[in-house]
Amino acid sequence: MGETYKVPVGPIHIALEEPVYFKVTVHGETVEHVDILSGFVHRGMEALVLRRNFLQNMIITERTCSLCSNNHPFTYIMAVEKIAGVKIPPRAEYLRVIADEVKRAASHLFNVSMLAHLVGFHSLMTQTMETREVLQDVKESIWGNRMDLGANTIGGVKYDLDKEQIRYLIKQLNSIKKPIRELAAIYRDNRIVRARTEGVGVLSKEDTLRLGVVGPTARGSGVNNDIRLIYPYAAYDKLDWDVVLEDGCDVRARALVRLREVFQAINLVEQCLKALPDGPVKTKGFPRIPKGEGVARTEAPRGELFFYVKSDGSSKPERMKWRVPTYLNWEALKVMMPGNKIADISVIFNSIDPCISCTER
Amino acid sequence: MAGFFKIAIRNFLNSPTTDPYPFGETFTPENYRGIIDYTPELCIGCNTCEYVCPSGAIRVREKEDGSGISFSFWLNTCSHCGNCGYYCPTDAVFNSNDFHTARHQSEKFIPTIDDGISYVQCSNCKQKMKRPVEALLARAYEEITEEVRHQTSLCPECRRMKRFERM
Repeated sequence: MGETYKVPVGPIHIALEEPVYFKVTVHGETVEHVDILSGFVHRGMEALVLRRNFLQNMIITERTCSLCSNNHPFTYIMAVEKIAGVKIPPRAEYLRVIADEVKRAASHLFNVSMLAHLVGFHSLMTQTMETREVLQDVKESIWGNRMDLGANTIGGVKYDLDKEQIRYLIKQLNSIKKPIRELAAIYRDNRIVRARTEGVGVLSKEDTLRLGVVGPTARGSGVNNDIRLIYPYAAYDKLDWDVVLEDGCDVRARALVRLREVFQAINLVEQCLKALPDGPVKTKGFPRIPKGEGVARTEAPRGELFFYVKSDGSSKPERMKWRVPTYLNWEALKVMMPGNKIADISVIFNSIDPCISCTER
Repeated sequence: MAGFFKIAIRNFLNSPTTDPYPFGETFTPENYRGIIDYTPELCIGCNTCEYVCPSGAIRVREKEDGSGISFSFWLNTCSHCGNCGYYCPTDAVFNSNDFHTARHQSEKFIPTIDDGISYVQCSNCKQKMKRPVEALLARAYEEITEEVRHQTSLCPECRRMKRFERM
Protein backbone atom coordinates (compact mmCIF):
# COMPACT_ATOMS: atom_id res chain seq x y z
CA MET A 1 0.00 0.00 0.00
CA GLY A 2 2.84 2.45 0.56
CA GLU A 3 3.24 3.29 -3.12
CA THR A 4 1.84 6.14 -5.16
CA TYR A 5 0.78 5.77 -8.77
CA LYS A 6 0.14 8.23 -11.59
CA VAL A 7 -3.17 7.75 -13.35
CA PRO A 8 -4.09 9.60 -16.55
CA VAL A 9 -7.69 10.77 -16.73
CA GLY A 10 -8.84 12.12 -20.05
CA PRO A 11 -8.44 13.87 -22.41
CA ILE A 12 -11.66 12.30 -23.67
CA HIS A 13 -14.74 11.33 -21.66
CA ILE A 14 -14.30 12.95 -18.29
CA ALA A 15 -17.64 14.42 -17.48
CA LEU A 16 -19.10 16.28 -20.39
CA GLU A 17 -17.25 14.62 -23.25
CA GLU A 18 -15.00 17.64 -23.43
CA PRO A 19 -11.24 17.30 -23.72
CA VAL A 20 -9.11 18.08 -20.68
CA TYR A 21 -6.37 15.90 -19.32
CA PHE A 22 -5.71 15.22 -15.63
CA LYS A 23 -2.50 13.71 -14.37
CA VAL A 24 -3.65 12.28 -11.07
CA THR A 25 -1.25 11.02 -8.42
CA VAL A 26 -2.99 8.42 -6.28
CA HIS A 27 -2.10 6.69 -3.09
CA GLY A 28 -4.14 3.50 -3.08
CA GLU A 29 -7.45 4.81 -4.32
CA THR A 30 -7.13 8.26 -2.83
CA VAL A 31 -6.15 11.26 -4.94
CA GLU A 32 -3.06 13.03 -3.68
CA HIS A 33 -2.26 15.54 -6.36
CA VAL A 34 -3.78 16.74 -9.63
CA ASP A 35 -2.15 18.31 -12.66
CA ILE A 36 -4.36 19.81 -15.35
CA LEU A 37 -3.28 19.85 -19.00
CA SER A 38 -5.43 21.69 -21.47
CA GLY A 39 -5.38 23.16 -24.95
CA PHE A 40 -7.06 20.39 -26.95
CA VAL A 41 -9.86 22.52 -28.39
CA HIS A 42 -8.10 25.79 -29.03
CA ARG A 43 -9.74 27.34 -32.08
CA GLY A 44 -8.05 30.74 -32.15
CA MET A 45 -11.27 32.67 -31.72
CA GLU A 46 -9.60 35.80 -30.36
CA ALA A 47 -7.64 36.09 -33.62
CA LEU A 48 -10.67 35.10 -35.68
CA VAL A 49 -12.84 37.92 -34.35
CA LEU A 50 -10.29 40.53 -35.45
CA ARG A 51 -10.91 39.50 -39.06
CA ARG A 52 -14.67 39.95 -38.82
CA ASN A 53 -16.75 43.08 -38.47
CA PHE A 54 -18.80 43.99 -35.38
CA LEU A 55 -22.00 42.47 -36.77
CA GLN A 56 -20.38 39.16 -37.72
CA ASN A 57 -18.76 38.95 -34.28
CA MET A 58 -22.18 38.83 -32.62
CA ILE A 59 -22.50 35.37 -34.15
CA ILE A 60 -18.87 34.24 -33.74
CA THR A 61 -18.90 34.98 -29.99
CA GLU A 62 -22.16 33.07 -29.73
CA ARG A 63 -20.47 29.99 -31.19
CA THR A 64 -17.80 29.99 -28.44
CA CYS A 65 -19.85 27.57 -26.39
CA SER A 66 -23.36 26.25 -26.70
CA LEU A 67 -24.52 26.19 -23.08
CA CYS A 68 -23.72 29.83 -22.31
CA SER A 69 -24.19 30.87 -25.93
CA ASN A 70 -26.44 33.77 -24.98
CA ASN A 71 -24.01 35.34 -22.52
CA HIS A 72 -21.04 35.62 -24.88
CA PRO A 73 -22.72 37.87 -27.50
CA PHE A 74 -24.64 39.60 -24.69
CA THR A 75 -21.45 40.66 -22.90
CA TYR A 76 -19.66 41.49 -26.15
CA ILE A 77 -22.58 43.66 -27.26
CA MET A 78 -22.68 45.42 -23.88
CA ALA A 79 -18.97 46.27 -24.27
CA VAL A 80 -19.52 47.55 -27.83
CA GLU A 81 -22.53 49.58 -26.70
CA LYS A 82 -20.36 51.21 -24.05
CA ILE A 83 -17.86 52.27 -26.73
CA ALA A 84 -20.61 53.59 -28.99
CA GLY A 85 -22.50 55.21 -26.09
CA VAL A 86 -25.75 53.48 -27.01
CA LYS A 87 -28.59 53.35 -24.49
CA ILE A 88 -30.97 50.53 -25.27
CA PRO A 89 -34.77 50.92 -24.98
CA PRO A 90 -36.34 49.66 -21.69
CA ARG A 91 -38.29 46.91 -23.43
CA ALA A 92 -35.04 45.51 -24.83
CA GLU A 93 -33.55 45.39 -21.32
CA TYR A 94 -36.36 43.15 -20.12
CA LEU A 95 -36.24 40.98 -23.24
CA ARG A 96 -32.51 40.48 -22.72
CA VAL A 97 -33.15 39.21 -19.19
CA ILE A 98 -35.84 36.82 -20.43
CA ALA A 99 -33.52 35.24 -23.02
CA ASP A 100 -30.71 35.03 -20.49
CA GLU A 101 -32.74 33.41 -17.74
CA VAL A 102 -34.33 30.82 -20.01
CA LYS A 103 -30.82 29.84 -21.11
CA ARG A 104 -29.62 29.76 -17.50
CA ALA A 105 -32.44 27.44 -16.42
CA ALA A 106 -31.70 25.06 -19.31
CA SER A 107 -27.95 25.13 -18.62
CA HIS A 108 -28.34 24.36 -14.91
CA LEU A 109 -30.76 21.51 -15.62
CA PHE A 110 -28.21 20.07 -18.04
CA ASN A 111 -25.49 20.21 -15.39
CA VAL A 112 -27.52 18.53 -12.65
CA SER A 113 -28.65 15.85 -15.09
CA MET A 114 -24.97 15.19 -15.86
CA LEU A 115 -24.41 14.83 -12.12
CA ALA A 116 -27.10 12.15 -12.02
CA HIS A 117 -25.41 10.44 -14.98
CA LEU A 118 -22.03 10.43 -13.22
CA VAL A 119 -23.32 9.03 -9.95
CA GLY A 120 -24.91 6.24 -11.98
CA PHE A 121 -28.55 7.23 -11.53
CA HIS A 122 -29.47 7.18 -15.21
CA SER A 123 -33.24 7.29 -14.87
CA LEU A 124 -32.90 10.56 -12.98
CA MET A 125 -30.66 11.89 -15.73
CA THR A 126 -33.11 11.06 -18.52
CA GLN A 127 -35.97 12.51 -16.50
CA THR A 128 -34.11 15.79 -15.92
CA MET A 129 -33.21 15.97 -19.61
CA GLU A 130 -36.84 15.27 -20.48
CA THR A 131 -37.93 18.21 -18.32
CA ARG A 132 -35.27 20.39 -19.88
CA GLU A 133 -36.65 19.50 -23.30
CA VAL A 134 -39.64 21.77 -22.57
CA LEU A 135 -37.23 24.69 -22.29
CA GLN A 136 -35.52 23.60 -25.51
CA ASP A 137 -38.91 23.67 -27.26
CA VAL A 138 -39.52 27.15 -25.84
CA LYS A 139 -36.19 28.36 -27.22
CA GLU A 140 -36.87 26.78 -30.60
CA SER A 141 -40.37 28.25 -30.82
CA ILE A 142 -39.50 31.79 -29.76
CA TRP A 143 -35.91 32.34 -30.88
CA GLY A 144 -35.63 29.74 -33.64
CA ASN A 145 -32.86 27.49 -32.35
CA ARG A 146 -32.43 25.04 -29.50
CA MET A 147 -29.09 26.47 -28.33
CA ASP A 148 -27.99 29.57 -30.23
CA LEU A 149 -30.75 32.05 -29.59
CA GLY A 150 -29.32 35.03 -31.46
CA ALA A 151 -31.41 37.19 -29.15
CA ASN A 152 -29.18 40.24 -28.84
CA THR A 153 -28.01 42.80 -31.32
CA ILE A 154 -26.05 46.05 -30.96
CA GLY A 155 -28.64 48.54 -29.72
CA GLY A 156 -31.31 46.14 -28.50
CA VAL A 157 -32.69 42.70 -29.22
CA LYS A 158 -33.55 40.89 -32.44
CA TYR A 159 -36.87 39.45 -31.29
CA ASP A 160 -40.11 40.72 -29.85
CA LEU A 161 -42.76 38.89 -27.85
CA ASP A 162 -46.41 39.23 -28.86
CA LYS A 163 -49.36 38.33 -26.62
CA GLU A 164 -49.57 34.77 -27.90
CA GLN A 165 -45.87 34.09 -27.36
CA ILE A 166 -46.08 35.47 -23.81
CA ARG A 167 -49.04 33.16 -23.12
CA TYR A 168 -47.09 30.22 -24.55
CA LEU A 169 -44.00 31.06 -22.50
CA ILE A 170 -45.98 31.31 -19.24
CA LYS A 171 -47.81 28.07 -19.97
CA GLN A 172 -44.60 26.14 -20.67
CA LEU A 173 -42.82 27.55 -17.62
CA ASN A 174 -45.76 26.62 -15.40
CA SER A 175 -45.77 23.11 -16.83
CA ILE A 176 -42.18 22.39 -15.71
CA LYS A 177 -42.45 23.80 -12.17
CA LYS A 178 -43.97 20.64 -10.69
CA PRO A 179 -41.60 18.16 -12.41
CA ILE A 180 -38.56 20.21 -11.35
CA ARG A 181 -39.83 20.37 -7.75
CA GLU A 182 -40.15 16.57 -7.79
CA LEU A 183 -36.67 16.14 -9.27
CA ALA A 184 -35.11 18.65 -6.87
CA ALA A 185 -36.50 16.63 -3.96
CA ILE A 186 -34.79 13.51 -5.35
CA TYR A 187 -31.47 15.35 -5.78
CA ARG A 188 -31.80 16.63 -2.22
CA ASP A 189 -33.00 13.51 -0.40
CA ASN A 190 -32.20 10.42 -2.45
CA ARG A 191 -29.86 8.05 -0.63
CA ILE A 192 -27.66 7.23 -3.65
CA VAL A 193 -27.27 10.82 -4.78
CA ARG A 194 -26.46 11.95 -1.25
CA ALA A 195 -23.90 9.19 -0.74
CA ARG A 196 -22.02 10.23 -3.87
CA THR A 197 -22.20 14.01 -3.41
CA GLU A 198 -22.21 14.85 0.29
CA GLY A 199 -18.79 15.77 1.64
CA VAL A 200 -17.23 15.18 -1.78
CA GLY A 201 -15.02 17.83 -3.39
CA VAL A 202 -15.00 20.19 -0.44
CA LEU A 203 -13.94 23.76 -1.20
CA SER A 204 -13.83 25.90 1.92
CA LYS A 205 -14.95 29.51 1.95
CA GLU A 206 -11.36 30.69 2.51
CA ASP A 207 -10.12 28.76 -0.53
CA THR A 208 -13.02 30.08 -2.60
CA LEU A 209 -12.02 33.65 -1.83
CA ARG A 210 -8.30 32.93 -2.24
CA LEU A 211 -8.74 31.34 -5.69
CA GLY A 212 -11.31 33.85 -6.89
CA VAL A 213 -13.83 31.16 -7.74
CA VAL A 214 -16.98 32.45 -9.45
CA GLY A 215 -20.57 31.48 -10.13
CA PRO A 216 -22.58 28.65 -8.55
CA THR A 217 -19.31 26.97 -7.54
CA ALA A 218 -18.58 29.90 -5.20
CA ARG A 219 -22.19 30.30 -4.13
CA GLY A 220 -22.17 26.65 -3.02
CA SER A 221 -19.46 27.70 -0.55
CA GLY A 222 -21.44 30.67 0.71
CA VAL A 223 -19.60 33.36 -1.25
CA ASN A 224 -21.91 35.88 -2.85
CA ASN A 225 -20.33 37.14 -6.04
CA ASP A 226 -23.35 37.34 -8.33
CA ILE A 227 -22.62 40.05 -10.93
CA ARG A 228 -26.35 40.47 -11.49
CA LEU A 229 -26.58 41.86 -7.95
CA ILE A 230 -23.27 43.58 -7.28
CA TYR A 231 -22.91 45.16 -10.72
CA PRO A 232 -26.42 45.17 -12.19
CA TYR A 233 -26.94 45.26 -15.94
CA ALA A 234 -30.00 45.04 -18.23
CA ALA A 235 -33.11 45.00 -16.03
CA TYR A 236 -31.77 43.06 -13.05
CA ASP A 237 -31.84 46.07 -10.71
CA LYS A 238 -35.55 46.57 -11.43
CA LEU A 239 -36.51 43.03 -10.46
CA ASP A 240 -37.14 41.58 -7.04
CA TRP A 241 -34.82 38.67 -6.35
CA ASP A 242 -32.23 37.31 -3.94
CA VAL A 243 -28.94 35.53 -4.50
CA VAL A 244 -29.06 31.77 -3.92
CA LEU A 245 -26.46 30.70 -1.36
CA GLU A 246 -25.65 27.32 0.17
CA ASP A 247 -23.00 26.64 2.79
CA GLY A 248 -22.35 22.93 2.26
CA CYS A 249 -19.11 23.67 0.32
CA ASP A 250 -19.40 20.26 -1.44
CA VAL A 251 -20.71 18.85 -4.73
CA ARG A 252 -24.20 18.56 -3.28
CA ALA A 253 -24.32 22.23 -2.27
CA ARG A 254 -23.33 23.30 -5.79
CA ALA A 255 -26.05 21.10 -7.32
CA LEU A 256 -28.61 22.55 -4.91
CA VAL A 257 -27.55 26.11 -5.81
CA ARG A 258 -28.14 25.27 -9.47
CA LEU A 259 -31.52 23.66 -8.82
CA ARG A 260 -32.66 26.65 -6.77
CA GLU A 261 -31.40 29.00 -9.48
CA VAL A 262 -33.63 27.20 -11.99
CA PHE A 263 -36.65 28.25 -9.91
CA GLN A 264 -35.18 31.71 -9.54
CA ALA A 265 -34.72 31.95 -13.33
CA ILE A 266 -38.34 30.95 -13.93
CA ASN A 267 -39.43 33.53 -11.35
CA LEU A 268 -37.32 36.25 -13.00
CA VAL A 269 -38.79 35.48 -16.44
CA GLU A 270 -42.30 35.70 -14.99
CA GLN A 271 -41.49 39.02 -13.32
CA CYS A 272 -40.10 40.36 -16.61
CA LEU A 273 -43.17 39.26 -18.54
CA LYS A 274 -45.41 41.02 -16.00
CA ALA A 275 -43.41 44.25 -16.02
CA LEU A 276 -42.60 44.25 -19.76
CA PRO A 277 -42.83 47.90 -20.90
CA ASP A 278 -44.10 48.88 -24.33
CA GLY A 279 -41.96 50.52 -26.95
CA PRO A 280 -39.28 49.70 -29.50
CA VAL A 281 -36.93 46.74 -29.01
CA LYS A 282 -33.99 48.33 -30.76
CA THR A 283 -32.46 51.74 -31.33
CA LYS A 284 -32.94 53.05 -34.87
CA GLY A 285 -30.32 52.32 -37.50
CA PHE A 286 -26.89 50.93 -36.84
CA PRO A 287 -24.58 52.91 -34.52
CA ARG A 288 -21.10 53.83 -35.69
CA ILE A 289 -18.49 52.33 -33.40
CA PRO A 290 -15.96 55.09 -32.66
CA LYS A 291 -12.40 54.66 -31.48
CA GLY A 292 -12.32 53.50 -27.90
CA GLU A 293 -12.20 50.70 -25.37
CA GLY A 294 -14.98 49.02 -23.44
CA VAL A 295 -15.38 46.30 -20.86
CA ALA A 296 -18.49 44.48 -19.70
CA ARG A 297 -19.29 41.83 -17.12
CA THR A 298 -22.26 39.52 -16.88
CA GLU A 299 -23.23 36.52 -14.83
CA ALA A 300 -23.14 33.52 -17.18
CA PRO A 301 -24.62 30.21 -15.94
CA ARG A 302 -21.08 29.21 -14.90
CA GLY A 303 -20.06 32.50 -13.29
CA GLU A 304 -18.64 35.86 -14.16
CA LEU A 305 -17.97 36.46 -17.85
CA PHE A 306 -15.76 39.38 -18.80
CA PHE A 307 -15.26 41.01 -22.19
CA TYR A 308 -12.77 43.62 -23.32
CA VAL A 309 -13.21 45.22 -26.74
CA LYS A 310 -10.93 47.79 -28.33
CA SER A 311 -12.00 49.59 -31.46
CA ASP A 312 -9.90 51.77 -33.77
CA GLY A 313 -12.90 53.36 -35.45
CA SER A 314 -13.03 50.91 -38.36
CA SER A 315 -15.68 48.24 -38.93
CA LYS A 316 -13.60 45.59 -37.17
CA PRO A 317 -12.39 45.40 -33.56
CA GLU A 318 -8.70 46.06 -32.98
CA ARG A 319 -8.47 43.69 -30.00
CA MET A 320 -10.90 41.49 -28.18
CA LYS A 321 -10.31 39.49 -25.06
CA TRP A 322 -12.69 37.51 -22.96
CA ARG A 323 -12.24 35.74 -19.66
CA VAL A 324 -14.60 32.89 -18.96
CA PRO A 325 -15.71 31.50 -15.58
CA THR A 326 -14.22 28.02 -15.99
CA TYR A 327 -10.73 29.50 -16.20
CA LEU A 328 -11.00 30.59 -12.57
CA ASN A 329 -12.96 27.57 -11.41
CA TRP A 330 -10.69 24.81 -12.63
CA GLU A 331 -7.83 26.05 -10.43
CA ALA A 332 -10.10 25.12 -7.53
CA LEU A 333 -10.09 21.50 -8.72
CA LYS A 334 -6.56 21.16 -7.33
CA VAL A 335 -8.00 21.95 -3.91
CA MET A 336 -11.22 19.96 -4.32
CA MET A 337 -9.84 16.68 -5.61
CA PRO A 338 -7.06 15.63 -3.19
CA GLY A 339 -8.40 13.37 -0.47
CA ASN A 340 -11.23 11.99 -2.60
CA LYS A 341 -11.49 8.64 -4.40
CA ILE A 342 -10.64 8.16 -8.10
CA ALA A 343 -14.30 7.44 -8.83
CA ASP A 344 -15.22 10.90 -7.57
CA ILE A 345 -12.96 12.77 -10.01
CA SER A 346 -15.61 13.07 -12.71
CA VAL A 347 -18.30 14.04 -10.19
CA ILE A 348 -16.09 16.79 -8.77
CA PHE A 349 -15.06 17.94 -12.23
CA ASN A 350 -18.71 18.18 -13.25
CA SER A 351 -19.55 20.18 -10.13
CA ILE A 352 -17.71 23.27 -11.41
CA ASP A 353 -19.87 23.01 -14.57
CA PRO A 354 -16.76 23.01 -16.79
CA CYS A 355 -16.84 24.50 -20.24
CA ILE A 356 -13.57 23.67 -21.94
CA SER A 357 -14.53 25.06 -25.34
CA CYS A 358 -15.16 28.46 -23.69
CA THR A 359 -11.90 28.39 -21.79
CA GLU A 360 -9.65 27.39 -24.66
CA ARG A 361 -11.59 29.25 -27.36
CA MET B 1 -35.81 5.61 -4.03
CA ALA B 2 -39.54 6.00 -3.40
CA GLY B 3 -39.48 9.46 -4.94
CA PHE B 4 -38.40 8.16 -8.28
CA PHE B 5 -40.81 5.20 -8.32
CA LYS B 6 -43.71 7.61 -8.55
CA ILE B 7 -42.19 9.18 -11.69
CA ALA B 8 -41.31 5.78 -13.18
CA ILE B 9 -44.84 4.42 -12.72
CA ARG B 10 -46.34 7.57 -14.20
CA ASN B 11 -44.03 7.28 -17.22
CA PHE B 12 -45.01 3.64 -17.65
CA LEU B 13 -48.67 4.62 -17.98
CA ASN B 14 -48.03 7.56 -20.34
CA SER B 15 -47.42 7.25 -24.07
CA PRO B 16 -43.87 7.69 -25.44
CA THR B 17 -42.56 11.25 -25.41
CA THR B 18 -40.58 10.88 -28.65
CA ASP B 19 -42.02 11.74 -32.06
CA PRO B 20 -42.30 8.93 -34.65
CA TYR B 21 -40.25 11.00 -37.13
CA PRO B 22 -39.43 10.25 -40.04
CA PHE B 23 -42.47 7.97 -40.23
CA GLY B 24 -44.82 10.56 -38.77
CA GLU B 25 -45.08 14.26 -38.05
CA THR B 26 -42.63 16.06 -35.81
CA PHE B 27 -42.66 19.39 -33.97
CA THR B 28 -41.34 22.16 -36.23
CA PRO B 29 -41.94 25.67 -34.89
CA GLU B 30 -42.98 28.48 -37.20
CA ASN B 31 -39.97 30.60 -36.14
CA TYR B 32 -37.36 27.86 -36.58
CA ARG B 33 -34.20 29.18 -38.27
CA GLY B 34 -33.82 26.60 -41.00
CA ILE B 35 -32.38 26.68 -44.51
CA ILE B 36 -32.11 30.11 -46.13
CA ASP B 37 -34.49 31.00 -48.93
CA TYR B 38 -34.13 33.81 -51.46
CA THR B 39 -36.71 35.83 -53.38
CA PRO B 40 -35.01 37.53 -56.37
CA GLU B 41 -38.05 39.81 -56.96
CA LEU B 42 -37.36 41.57 -53.65
CA CYS B 43 -33.57 41.71 -53.88
CA ILE B 44 -31.90 45.09 -54.42
CA GLY B 45 -28.34 43.74 -54.62
CA CYS B 46 -27.15 45.85 -51.69
CA ASN B 47 -24.62 43.28 -50.42
CA THR B 48 -25.77 43.57 -46.77
CA CYS B 49 -26.28 39.81 -46.42
CA GLU B 50 -22.70 39.11 -47.49
CA TYR B 51 -21.39 41.81 -45.15
CA VAL B 52 -23.11 40.43 -42.03
CA CYS B 53 -22.66 36.69 -42.77
CA PRO B 54 -20.01 35.44 -40.30
CA SER B 55 -19.30 32.17 -42.10
CA GLY B 56 -18.96 33.51 -45.63
CA ALA B 57 -21.79 31.38 -46.98
CA ILE B 58 -23.20 34.15 -49.17
CA ARG B 59 -21.57 35.85 -52.16
CA VAL B 60 -23.08 38.79 -53.99
CA ARG B 61 -21.17 39.86 -57.11
CA GLU B 62 -21.74 41.52 -60.43
CA LYS B 63 -22.46 38.86 -63.05
CA GLU B 64 -19.58 38.11 -65.39
CA ASP B 65 -21.48 39.23 -68.48
CA GLY B 66 -22.48 42.44 -66.69
CA SER B 67 -26.18 41.71 -67.02
CA GLY B 68 -26.98 41.93 -63.33
CA ILE B 69 -26.02 40.88 -59.84
CA SER B 70 -25.64 37.26 -58.80
CA PHE B 71 -26.53 35.80 -55.41
CA SER B 72 -24.83 32.51 -54.42
CA PHE B 73 -25.39 30.59 -51.21
CA TRP B 74 -23.53 27.54 -49.91
CA LEU B 75 -25.64 25.49 -47.51
CA ASN B 76 -22.67 23.53 -46.15
CA THR B 77 -20.96 26.72 -44.98
CA CYS B 78 -24.07 28.25 -43.40
CA SER B 79 -24.39 28.29 -39.62
CA HIS B 80 -28.12 29.18 -39.62
CA CYS B 81 -27.57 32.26 -37.47
CA GLY B 82 -30.22 34.30 -39.27
CA ASN B 83 -28.09 37.47 -39.49
CA CYS B 84 -28.68 37.83 -43.26
CA GLY B 85 -32.45 37.62 -42.89
CA TYR B 86 -32.45 40.00 -39.93
CA TYR B 87 -30.47 42.73 -41.69
CA CYS B 88 -31.96 42.29 -45.21
CA PRO B 89 -33.78 45.61 -45.87
CA THR B 90 -36.44 44.03 -48.10
CA ASP B 91 -36.72 40.49 -46.63
CA ALA B 92 -35.44 39.00 -49.88
CA VAL B 93 -33.26 36.61 -47.82
CA PHE B 94 -35.02 34.80 -45.01
CA ASN B 95 -34.86 31.62 -42.94
CA SER B 96 -37.45 29.02 -43.86
CA ASN B 97 -38.33 26.44 -41.21
CA ASP B 98 -37.04 23.56 -43.33
CA PHE B 99 -34.40 21.59 -41.40
CA HIS B 100 -33.63 18.89 -44.00
CA THR B 101 -30.03 19.69 -44.78
CA ALA B 102 -28.85 16.33 -46.16
CA ARG B 103 -27.48 16.64 -49.70
CA HIS B 104 -25.54 14.44 -52.11
CA GLN B 105 -21.76 14.46 -51.76
CA SER B 106 -21.50 15.81 -55.32
CA GLU B 107 -23.41 18.93 -54.21
CA LYS B 108 -21.14 19.57 -51.25
CA PHE B 109 -19.11 22.41 -52.70
CA ILE B 110 -21.51 23.94 -55.21
CA PRO B 111 -23.89 26.74 -54.30
CA THR B 112 -27.35 25.48 -53.32
CA ILE B 113 -28.86 28.81 -54.36
CA ASP B 114 -27.44 30.34 -57.52
CA ASP B 115 -29.74 33.13 -58.51
CA GLY B 116 -29.64 36.86 -58.89
CA ILE B 117 -31.20 39.95 -60.33
CA SER B 118 -30.91 41.53 -63.77
CA TYR B 119 -30.19 45.18 -64.41
CA VAL B 120 -32.87 47.33 -66.03
CA GLN B 121 -32.27 50.14 -68.49
CA CYS B 122 -32.63 53.79 -67.63
CA SER B 123 -35.71 55.15 -69.45
CA ASN B 124 -33.72 58.15 -70.61
CA CYS B 125 -30.10 57.22 -71.41
CA LYS B 126 -30.56 53.41 -71.68
CA GLN B 127 -27.71 52.82 -69.25
CA LYS B 128 -27.84 49.69 -67.08
CA MET B 129 -28.87 50.21 -63.44
CA LYS B 130 -30.24 48.38 -60.39
CA ARG B 131 -34.00 48.26 -60.56
CA PRO B 132 -36.27 49.88 -58.01
CA VAL B 133 -37.93 47.49 -55.56
CA GLU B 134 -41.46 48.15 -54.34
CA ALA B 135 -40.66 47.16 -50.71
CA LEU B 136 -37.91 49.74 -50.44
CA LEU B 137 -39.98 52.48 -52.15
CA ALA B 138 -42.76 51.87 -49.65
CA ARG B 139 -40.28 52.48 -46.84
CA ALA B 140 -38.84 55.62 -48.39
CA TYR B 141 -42.03 57.35 -49.55
CA GLU B 142 -45.33 57.76 -47.76
CA GLU B 143 -47.18 57.58 -51.07
CA ILE B 144 -45.80 56.23 -54.33
CA THR B 145 -47.00 58.73 -56.93
CA GLU B 146 -46.52 58.72 -60.72
CA GLU B 147 -43.78 61.28 -60.21
CA VAL B 148 -41.89 58.90 -57.91
CA ARG B 149 -42.33 56.06 -60.41
CA HIS B 150 -40.94 58.18 -63.18
CA GLN B 151 -37.98 59.24 -61.03
CA THR B 152 -37.13 55.63 -60.16
CA SER B 153 -37.09 54.62 -63.82
CA LEU B 154 -34.09 56.92 -64.31
CA CYS B 155 -30.48 56.15 -63.51
CA PRO B 156 -28.90 58.24 -60.70
CA GLU B 157 -27.10 60.45 -63.21
CA CYS B 158 -30.24 61.24 -65.27
CA ARG B 159 -32.24 61.78 -62.06
CA ARG B 160 -29.75 64.38 -60.92
CA MET B 161 -29.90 66.16 -64.26
CA LYS B 162 -33.72 66.16 -64.27
CA ARG B 163 -33.82 67.58 -60.77
CA PHE B 164 -31.27 70.18 -61.76
CA GLU B 165 -33.37 71.26 -64.73
CA ARG B 166 -36.38 71.81 -62.51
CA MET B 167 -34.58 74.20 -60.21
